[in-house]
Amino acid sequence: MAKEIGKDKFGSFYVAGSRVRNRREWRGVKDTLYDYSRWLVIMGTLGKFLMKPRNVKAMFRYRWMANYLAVPMMVDRHTQGLRQEYLRMCHIEQDLIIDDVAKLLGNLFRGDRRTGNDTEFSKKVVLVDENEMTAVMMGFPMLKCLSRETPSTYVSVLLNQHAAEHYIDVAQEFGLAGDVCPMPEAEAGVSIDDDAPVLGACAVQCNTTCDGSLLGNGVISRRLEKEDGIPVFQLAAPLRHREDDVQEYAAQEIRNAIAFIEQHTGAKWDWTEYFECAKRVNYATKCRQEWLDMNRTDYPQVFGSNLALYTETNYMAICGRIAAFEKADRKLTRLAEQAFKAKKRAAKEYRHRAIIWGVQSHYYMDFLVWLLNCWGIVPLTDMLSMVSTRKIAEEDTPENREQAYYDMAWLTENMIMRNRTHGGYKVLLDELWEFTEQFNADMVILWEHMSCKALDGMHGLFEDRARELGIHLVWVSHDLFDPRIISRQGVRDQINNYMRTVMREEPIDPSLEILPDEESW
Amino acid sequence: MKRNHTKKIPKGLSICLKVLGILFSLFTFTFVIYIFNLDMKLTSKIEPLLLKHYDRIERDRHL
Repeated sequence: MAKEIGKDKFGSFYVAGSRVRNRREWRGVKDTLYDYSRWLVIMGTLGKFLMKPRNVKAMFRYRWMANYLAVPMMVDRHTQGLRQEYLRMCHIEQDLIIDDVAKLLGNLFRGDRRTGNDTEFSKKVVLVDENEMTAVMMGFPMLKCLSRETPSTYVSVLLNQHAAEHYIDVAQEFGLAGDVCPMPEAEAGVSIDDDAPVLGACAVQCNTTCDGSLLGNGVISRRLEKEDGIPVFQLAAPLRHREDDVQEYAAQEIRNAIAFIEQHTGAKWDWTEYFECAKRVNYATKCRQEWLDMNRTDYPQVFGSNLALYTETNYMAICGRIAAFEKADRKLTRLAEQAFKAKKRAAKEYRHRAIIWGVQSHYYMDFLVWLLNCWGIVPLTDMLSMVSTRKIAEEDTPENREQAYYDMAWLTENMIMRNRTHGGYKVLLDELWEFTEQFNADMVILWEHMSCKALDGMHGLFEDRARELGIHLVWVSHDLFDPRIISRQGVRDQINNYMRTVMREEPIDPSLEILPDEESW
Repeated sequence: MKRNHTKKIPKGLSICLKVLGILFSLFTFTFVIYIFNLDMKLTSKIEPLLLKHYDRIERDRHL
């Protein structure tokens, strides 16, 4: 038990065969009391959620709800070793995300025909994909934009590494291919398993990122439209998003999606609200750019999980629609600036500056914390955080109303993951080396999501370029949602082997090198 | 006749002490749960029971 950063042996917290750790971390009086107070807040959020009978009913109806038992542990995983400003930044983000997901669940179950069955409320609900930019909802403050896949699969795997296995098996049991991305496959599995809440006036699906995503959407929309009577719009954003000649088509898709929502909900697009949201999108972009600027120096502040998880949520799922995230942006920037001025560091030792590229393992999101604590590798930024930095129109003028369709299209085309996995050689490969130079990184950790065909074809090209530039390129294979294919230890071993054999280094915390967390949440 | 030398505690102070005692007990109780991760240890025991329950639910499983 130690107050100082890096004094603890974090490996001693793990218990073989157990779902959970043996105790929580002692971080000195001030930081422990802070962490304890945030734990109380999280318990309060969960308690409040369970006060509603329909939520309890849903807990006993939907298999994926069992994963929410692990909410406090998810926070513990991401705060491991953190002190002072870094601990506070992590809690500001995680607590806000937990609150937002609790509200999302509450709303889903309110409208769900099996639990709350509030039909009037359900008429105001527009369902969206998990992996979909919510820009088309920025001008509909009177409607609820809800994603069923976010809590059932996306967040569930963050909470419990084994969460998606049941649904992946169900999908394959019904003949779906086993070599597609397990994320859309699990989402399809939820639908096949009759385990998705049923609600909404209509739904908007997006062609997201890949063949797996199209497969999953097909299965889900079939059930939505033909059985549940919920019409679905397919928002087909262009994949070659950097090309000028696709932008008119992309803007037209946005106009069509908005018209579809208006037709099925009776709601009218609100330009005033849209431009308010646009201001918040720009503010979030400005903050993110400031954090990335700090990360280019010797004193990075908002990085690792603190950058990755928050950007995914704020950029894509929130997209300026919720004011609380603007306040969080402000607080995070203040804390980061404070730590930057004091030249603070989040860990005992920084040995390597790394860019994390590729699609990260979802069942091991706290891997970035592990990299820092075990080997002193600083994850300066990651592929999913390198999203659009373009300022969108935020003043309500007739010209900007026309420009807004192009801006929403741009955001949709450049949503997380698809802005790098599609769009050509430049966005995935060339820009990586530009970032490596800008961030003064000596290492690239390249996630190889083995079911992602978009990235696998580029393997040799990455290696050639890294060799030319003299950058340490460490491949880390994984299967996104399925730890049975490559376990968390399998992920760690790939780094351990590289660090020991190529870099000839010893870990900063040897107790973290091999962890008995196969059964862990 | 024996005189009672015990000083009487003012009522307000007594209430304050009781409230502080309750708050301190609550803090100790919850802090022990927090630091020894007892909340997660308990919920990890509930999970298998819930999974068994989900297996028993009748579902309309199809493509």
